[in-house]
Amino acid sequence: MCRSKNIVLFIALLLLIQNNFYSQNNSKVWFDGLGRSFFSRDAIVDKLKEDTISSRNVSSGYNLLDLNTHVNPSKDIEIFAQLRIKNQFGSFFGSGTNINVRQLRASGIINNKINFNVGDIFLKQNHFTLYNNNEDLNFYKYSILNPYLDIIHYENFYIDNRWRLQGIQTDFSLEFDRFIRTFEVDMFITRPRGSVQLNNSSFSPDLILGGGSLSSKISNNLFFELNYINLYEIPSSGTTNISVRNPVYYSALTYQYKRNNLNIMHKIKSGFSRRNWLLSDIGIDMYDSIYNFTEGMFFEFENKILNKDSTFSTIIGFRYVDPNFRSSGAQTRRLNFNNFENTVYPFYTNNYINREVSLFDITTDENIYNQELHGSLMEFNPMYSNVNPYGLATPNRRGIYAELNWKSGEVFETNLTTSIFEEVIGQGTTNKRNFLSFLINTKINIDQIFNLKKEISFCAFYRNENTSRFGDSISSVNLSSEILNSVLNIELGNKIYLQMGINQFKSTGNEFLTNRNSYGIIQSFSAVSYDKMDFLNNVGIYYKLKDNIYANIQYNWWGSIFNNSLKTDFNYNRILFIFSVTL
Amino acid sequence: MIKNNINIVIVEILKIFIFFILFYSNISYSQNFQSSNYRPFSSSLNKVKKPVDEINFSGFYRFLGFVRTQKEVFPNNSGKTTAIISGDYFREPMLLLKIKGKAHRKISFGTDLMINSLYKGPSATQSNLTLDLGLNINATVNSANGIFKLSSGGVSWYRQSKLTVWGNRSFNRMSIYERRPQTPLNIYPNQRYNKYFENGLVNQGTRYGSRAFQGLFIKGDKLPYNFNFKGVIGKSAFNRSNLEFSDNFTTCFHLKNQIKPNFDLAYNFLSSDANLDTVININRKYSIHTFELVKKWDKLKIHLESGIGNFSSPENNLGIGEAIIFELESKQISNLNLDFQFYRITPEFVNVTGNFLNTTVLEIFPNVNGVGTTVRPPFKSPMVGLGHPVNNRQGLSLNADADFGKLKINGGIGYFFEIDTSYSAISYRHNVNGQTLSRIYLFAQNWGPYNFLNSTYRGVFEEVSISDTNESGLANFKKYFNTIEFQAKYSDIIFKRKFYIFYLLRFNSCQKDPSYLPQFNTKALVSQLSHDLDFSLKLNNKTVFVATYGIERVIGNELTDVGDVNNANTLNLFLEMLGISKQENSNLERNQRNSLIGVGIDYKISNNAMIFFRHNRYRYFDPNFTYNHLKGFENMLEIKITF
Repeated sequence: MCRSKNIVLFIALLLLIQNNFYSQNNSKVWFDGLGRSFFSRDAIVDKLKEDTISSRNVSSGYNLLDLNTHVNPSKDIEIFAQLRIKNQFGSFFGSGTNINVRQLRASGIINNKINFNVGDIFLKQNHFTLYNNNEDLNFYKYSILNPYLDIIHYENFYIDNRWRLQGIQTDFSLEFDRFIRTFEVDMFITRPRGSVQLNNSSFSPDLILGGGSLSSKISNNLFFELNYINLYEIPSSGTTNISVRNPVYYSALTYQYKRNNLNIMHKIKSGFSRRNWLLSDIGIDMYDSIYNFTEGMFFEFENKILNKDSTFSTIIGFRYVDPNFRSSGAQTRRLNFNNFENTVYPFYTNNYINREVSLFDITTDENIYNQELHGSLMEFNPMYSNVNPYGLATPNRRGIYAELNWKSGEVFETNLTTSIFEEVIGQGTTNKRNFLSFLINTKINIDQIFNLKKEISFCAFYRNENTSRFGDSISSVNLSSEILNSVLNIELGNKIYLQMGINQFKSTGNEFLTNRNSYGIIQSFSAVSYDKMDFLNNVGIYYKLKDNIYANIQYNWWGSIFNNSLKTDFNYNRILFIFSVTL
Repeated sequence: MIKNNINIVIVEILKIFIFFILFYSNISYSQNFQSSNYRPFSSSLNKVKKPVDEINFSGFYRFLGFVRTQKEVFPNNSGKTTAIISGDYFREPMLLLKIKGKAHRKISFGTDLMINSLYKGPSATQSNLTLDLGLNINATVNSANGIFKLSSGGVSWYRQSKLTVWGNRSFNRMSIYERRPQTPLNIYPNQRYNKYFENGLVNQGTRYGSRAFQGLFIKGDKLPYNFNFKGVIGKSAFNRSNLEFSDNFTTCFHLKNQIKPNFDLAYNFLSSDANLDTVININRKYSIHTFELVKKWDKLKIHLESGIGNFSSPENNLGIGEAIIFELESKQISNLNLDFQFYRITPEFVNVTGNFLNTTVLEIFPNVNGVGTTVRPPFKSPMVGLGHPVNNRQGLSLNADADFGKLKINGGIGYFFEIDTSYSAISYRHNVNGQTLSRIYLFAQNWGPYNFLNSTYRGVFEEVSISDTNESGLANFKKYFNTIEFQAKYSDIIFKRKFYIFYLLRFNSCQKDPSYLPQFNTKALVSQLSHDLDFSLKLNNKTVFVATYGIERVIGNELTDVGDVNNANTLNLFLEMLGISKQENSNLERNQRNSLIGVGIDYKISNNAMIFFRHNRYRYFDPNFTYNHLKGFENMLEIKITF
């Protein structure tokens, strides 16, 4: 079946090629894409004597080409197909080869007024309705680990915090010369999951995500927006009689103005969600009933000050998210720990035990990441993210947050972020958790200080998250997590950099994991305690041939150290080569 | 009822909404007050058009309709005697689509899609789309210190020196009646035969003379002090670990310095390492270091490559061995070109990516899923043609060619012998019917009624056992090899039409004792004599008639495998035909008589499109081995269109 699809695709490609002979003149068909060579070799550090049954080393690699074919039959229409050609490193003469379609889309403008997209589309609204939140431990901004991030994001279609969905989307805007300035409309309907056969006689229903936005620039200072989104299943498309419904409503009012050399913005956001499961009666009565109905609201007030030359900005705000606020489009997590097995060395020690997810896996393993919207809250690991594991729409939070960005010429730039939150209601106890987070990200361009011709920079990132809950010895919580990342970049030759990085994550304390049923209702709590340190240190050469074209070779030391006699430390090395060309 | 009301309300809202859009959208273009920075909200991505500078497609479509009818079959034949196939079972593209693109002036990429269809009716779904070789990304960096090229991916064809990385390339003596998928199209069909007549070179594609590698390729040209280098860090199809993820790498490097014009010195390095066990470090590895010298004069050229290599594995720890290849070429001395070659490659000098056959270590050939299509070549003391060095062997050869206008002749004679005793066996490739036999059982080892046959890519070799062995199973003696090759090419006009005749004689023998010339008698362990006669006649610009006749005789003496008949058969068919064959002129061992006769047409349909038809009648026969009898005919219709 898959092969048949490939053949069909190929015929389509051939047709495109036929057109391409003409396209040299009228540019009806054009191409871009990405090429990448990837090779990694992981090896057990010999000190790990406890493991004599695992392979001493594991290597893998691939070459891939994503050929994006753009067909423009007319000025306003584009058909886009992304064809992936991939062959595994070490497989010769056609073996280990995969060819498939990654994306297929038609888009255009109707009558020069209405934009439309059909097929694979990348959608985003706001942090509370539809938003693909960054992954846990997102510290990559200046890191030597950026090539890993590029791959993870590219392979999982993480573009600009959007979800990759399949469906139809349209938008248009109107301009006025009185009363209001603009009126903008956006609508989409997508199918995150089609009906699939569960067994011989049952099928799951189609899962649909639809939504729309109305926004208006009322004046040059005042903006207003309304968003609506609904994730729901169509019972008749499957044989299971339970289907989820999760509409979310959002409104925001933004007021911005200038004072002296400052741009000032105030924004109020508010909305609510409903979620329930519809039990369709397939008997004689044909009455449907609703189960597990929840309703929750959110509110956020944010203030931003930005100076005119953008060297300084600050944000301060307050946010409240109800414990029952549920928004599948905004609360679905990138990291999916559920039933995940590490790709590299999933088992270790002579007892062949599962290796815990570590900083290395979160940083490098694209398979741990999720692309599907979930109707209920996904599992998370409080060690890696406990303050806002579901992004800004994390339920059961209220508190304040602040951010400061400062740039001093070309020498220094920094970002400080802090937040103080608490739970709205306690979980399993009347006591509430308190959350405190602090983050600093700094870059110093040493070459600018000493007027050097070659670039030398030092970057440091530090984040601390503290969770506490007062109470008796059973219900009290005290969890602290820290991550430190520092990178030294030294330009050796023209755009050839020596990079050295230290990345450490440390977590100590205790927490409770919530166990929920399939409708998201908390069933029980599991007490967990943490005392471990993950490390991922690197040294490498980065050659930037051109923007988006680079070759990178690096050596990684990675592993975890447990201060727990019941757990065994692990320690591995990796050599990595990436050659990436964005066409 | 409620639902109907809701639907009515929704329809009304939509009507108002559409009216609103149509009405106000006209107004909206009456003024343009928006600042250039303002972007209306869209939940979707903004499109940015950023085309690749250049992308090209090339390739070919090749349909091969193949029908084989067997009149005589091996005893284990299933009963199916007719095969009707699209293609000839080898992994070859029906449609090869090469894509080459440039992302930047110095950054390019390329891949080759391969599409096949069995054409076995709608119910057969074995159609597939895959890659012929792989995909590559290339980057070029120009700097004041040289031009550097970085290439990543694979498969790429690479070569650096004959003792390290070099494809099987020898004197171009062969029958060109048979076509291969890579055989290119000429403007007119006759040009293929004319090119072979004029200069003996027929383009065999990029693979010819190179080896397949995957990995990271680096190359530096125009470096200071006339240096240049190239190298690979990656994998070849040989010396593989049992598990794909285990470490197995082949790395090679070539550094050359042009000391003077026409005088080059080079250093070559090759290292291959394969992990054999995942939990402990047991490796099979070999490495080679050679120095290379090339000096040219007006009519003389010297090429010398010499070095050391070592091989180690749990089964074989061979230690260090040396190798040398020396070639002296002269050009146009009294209308005669001469080529003298001497080589000595010790058994410890093991390599499977060089221009010589490995006969020392069997385990080095791959036995990994996915790589298995690259099967081992003849391994046990192969009798090979001139220009095919073999390790554990030394010897010399002299080749010459002369041009007499309509008649061109070339030939060579070689004498080689083993450095140390080796397996008690001899292998030889079939010069006649090699492709036909290989199509009967693809890439199989030890097949046929007597398990003599081994199929490789478009060829078959046989292994002959020797009974005179020592305690360790090796032959009790060193083997001596003699080879003569002779080729005559003649072209003239008959009935106002150009024709070409190509005659090729290949004569090999292997003896226990030294001999000046190859033997065709029972003094030799194995003797192989083949004649190929190809004829082509240009009927018109678009059409060429071709014909071939080939016969091959292989005989073995009393130290080799004995057949299953009671009466000895003659070694000399001519004397037998005259009725004067004597008893001492017969044997009970190998006495093979293979023949091939074929006719065909090459026809040009239009520009870049040709059709080729071949009808072959083959026979593989040995009267001393009752079941070694194959007979039948093949029809092949090839349509090839290039673009």
